[in-house]
Amino acid sequence: MRNKNEHAIYTQMKRSVVLDILKFLAVIAAAVWLMSRGTERLGYNWQWYQVPKYIFQIQDGQLIWGPLIDGLMVTFRITAWGLVLATIFGLVTALFRLSASFVSRALARGYVEIIRNTPLLVQIFFLYFVLAPVLNLDRFFAAVLALSLFEGAYASEIFRAGIVSIHQGQWEAAYSLGLGSYHTYRYIVLPQAIRRILPPLTSQGISLIKDSALVSTIAVYDLTMQGRAIIAETFLTFEIWFTVAAIYLIITVTLSLVVTVMENYFKIRV
Amino acid sequence: MSLKNADDYIITVDSLNKIFPGGIHALVSFSTKVRRGEVLVVIGPSGSGKSTFLRCLNGLEEIDSGSIIIDGIPLDDNKKNRLEIRKEVGMVFQSFNLFPHMTVLENVNLAQRLVRKKNKEQATQSTMDLLQKVGIPEKAESYPAQLSGGQQQRVAIARALAMMPKVMLFDEATSALDPEMIGEVLDVMKTLAREGMTMIVVTHEMGFAREVSDRVIFMEDGAIVEEGTVEHFFTRPEKERTKLFLSQIL
Repeated sequence: MRNKNEHAIYTQMKRSVVLDILKFLAVIAAAVWLMSRGTERLGYNWQWYQVPKYIFQIQDGQLIWGPLIDGLMVTFRITAWGLVLATIFGLVTALFRLSASFVSRALARGYVEIIRNTPLLVQIFFLYFVLAPVLNLDRFFAAVLALSLFEGAYASEIFRAGIVSIHQGQWEAAYSLGLGSYHTYRYIVLPQAIRRILPPLTSQGISLIKDSALVSTIAVYDLTMQGRAIIAETFLTFEIWFTVAAIYLIITVTLSLVVTVMENYFKIRV
Repeated sequence: MSLKNADDYIITVDSLNKIFPGGIHALVSFSTKVRRGEVLVVIGPSGSGKSTFLRCLNGLEEIDSGSIIIDGIPLDDNKKNRLEIRKEVGMVFQSFNLFPHMTVLENVNLAQRLVRKKNKEQATQSTMDLLQKVGIPEKAESYPAQLSGGQQQRVAIARALAMMPKVMLFDEATSALDPEMIGEVLDVMKTLAREGMTMIVVTHEMGFAREVSDRVIFMEDGAIVEEGTVEHFFTRPEKERTKLFLSQIL
């Protein structure tokens, strides 16, 4: 329930949307102008007409997806696995961090610190070149595991912050009713924490999608790797990179929208 | 006051000591016994250890030394004993602590289903009976935020009663309420007392104490200063400290 004062602020914000769009367009125009000036100096020869065939082609009335879409599918598979695993790693680590057991806490702490304080690229190489042969992982799962371990460490801090933000009285009420810790988390704490966790967790999910580009370094043919391969053949450097960036943008914005819908869903139930 | 169940003590507390980190000695060799069906009112200035005493009784606070036995079960490190005591001791908090993401019905159903393993129909049946008892059956589908403070606290009482506890603890249950809502909560508590529920009530409501209490304890600095019937406190308190405190709250 919003009071009048808050409502006034919302209307004000709505009015400023038009202004915001104008500002945004001005910034874009400036960026385009700068870029065209820059590429003019390079003597760059734009060949946008070359790009569509790398996305799709129609041969004999049949639609054939191009290499960028093949790469996009791989990126989808990596990020889908990555998001699920990162969420599991994050939640488990957060619960370990909050557990009464010293060993669990130390394990969780060590994992988070090691992952957060080393570069993702090094972790990908380590997993692929050192651990994957031992664990018999193919490059796809080595990539998925490296990404989800990385993002999971960050996600665990988000989960932890959300969990400890739940008022002490909620835990005490659950305790005095005889609920065990599983039931307390499952029915009392997590359903309330999830609303606070979702926005920062979305940022982490978006990072995961973008960071997934790094798996091209171990020759996983994701969107980025396909883009590189095309550039190596055709020298359409700017056209292909911009296209690849636009595709990432579409995925991440879609994810943001989905989460906004989810946030509203959780809000209504309160 | 009648001598209810003269020697049937449901709670035995012996030389309880509780020291908080930081060195605050909240309970100092605190001992008392509570009979089955007795209504014990605990009064005292803030920081006197009243709430800590209540919270020790269901294990919300760890004790440093001493013993607590509730209905024959010692509150010790044994997890099974602890769970048993948590099930048998209901608690009502000053800040209600309802689960805000659940309806009133779900709040009261939850522990019946998860802990008492009732099915949905059985749980809902007893929830509706309890809501009837606390006077707000029409609010079953509301969320806590849609209720007044007094209504929320009555739901909290229903939620605790749903576990069929043997003892009910009330930790300043009316202190967070607007004055006009105190009465409706006290009425529910009085009904419970008359039905023979064993209750320990931390409160400053001396009217409540006068109507239903069997015994009053006045605490300060983690120990009992004076105890007796409510008439004793109203007519001939012995200690100067008690007289001063009563003159401040009455």
